[in-house]
Amino acid sequence: MNSSDAGTARRRRFDELVGVFHQDMYRYAAWLSRDRTVAEDVVQESLLRAWKSLESLRDDAAAKHWLLTIVRRENARYFERRRLETVDVDDLTPSQQALLANEPDHELDDVREAIFGLDDDYREPLVLQVLMGYSTSEIGELMGLKQGAVLTRLHRARLKLRDGLDEEMAHGQSES
Amino acid sequence: MNCEDYKEAIAADPSYQGGEAHLSACADCRAFRDGMRSLDRRIGRALEIAVPDLRMPELPDIDTAEVVSLPTRRRFTSPAWLAVAATIVLAAFVGLRMVGSNVTYASLADEIVAHLDHEPYALRVTDEPVSDRRLAKVVPANVADMNHDAGLITYAQTCVINGKKIPHLVVQGEHGPVTILLLPDEAIDDAVQLEGESINGVLLPVGGGSVAIIGERNEKLETIQENVVNSVTWST
Repeated sequence: MNSSDAGTARRRRFDELVGVFHQDMYRYAAWLSRDRTVAEDVVQESLLRAWKSLESLRDDAAAKHWLLTIVRRENARYFERRRLETVDVDDLTPSQQALLANEPDHELDDVREAIFGLDDDYREPLVLQVLMGYSTSEIGELMGLKQGAVLTRLHRARLKLRDGLDEEMAHGQSES
Repeated sequence: MNCEDYKEAIAADPSYQGGEAHLSACADCRAFRDGMRSLDRRIGRALEIAVPDLRMPELPDIDTAEVVSLPTRRRFTSPAWLAVAATIVLAAFVGLRMVGSNVTYASLADEIVAHLDHEPYALRVTDEPVSDRRLAKVVPANVADMNHDAGLITYAQTCVINGKKIPHLVVQGEHGPVTILLLPDEAIDDAVQLEGESINGVLLPVGGGSVAIIGERNEKLETIQENVVNSVTWST
């Protein structure tokens, strides 16, 4: 295979992988950063990094995990460079608010806002498990945690969400 | 198992299947489990936010002349760990700058057979089934409706074949693991035999798509084929 063919094949491989996993990359970045604009920037940086290091992906079956690992690192770098403040749910920027865009289903809005309000340590494993279908051992590998710690965080995340949503519902009923 | 342990397990993973004995005697835990599963469905819907169109960044040229191609891999009959060890030795020999997969396949059948070499860890002999959650994630309702009649499913992963995400499952056959690839968008007219070193398989037309079923050379696939075809209904 000459250099031009190899380049074309490389680009085709990259485009196929991105086409398949772009949505997962964006959603993961969005729930990590809780900011639509930041998520778009993180995904752009991640795609560039993935393009440059494509040869390190030896097995396309591992592409999703490889790409999400890159997104996670790029998100961390982004926040480190900009030293952004912790997100305050009561004081959102338009870009953060855009992630909680109003749906006809208000209940969906409530659940999104509740997930939005979780600490990073609880929100991330929940996103990986429920949205990305990761097992607890895969979550532990990605986040650098023992499986027990992952289980504890998932357990607490769900209880916090349940309690928060029950409180919201009780508050809504008392006002009506 | 007591209530506290059960609730902890369910809150960590609502698809948890253990604790049946306790559950059958405890209405409170059954209600807790149902509540957690209902919450998880709401969480799942909430997490699926809209995604903007893909905006590809400006990609710099990469000097592919410095990239070395791997020789075509053969399918090993030896244990999975040996296949992984052999790959690592080869990597060390030719240096770390390799292309994992830049080949163009002559046919869908060729790509399917080659794919088996990509996931040697899928082909372990085990009696541990994948969770219902994992199966539902890998085979979502908008792709296919699938039940456990196909056999004991011990592996479920989303893979890429012909540029599309597809479910890659493994069930345990009589002579070892049997790979099942669900291909809802790959319509074929007739069954195609899949051949490779020490494997025996078939690509079957199923409705508007197809299903690949591949086992060890001495595996009788007819019963598994029938079970798989009867347990899959395409949603697309």
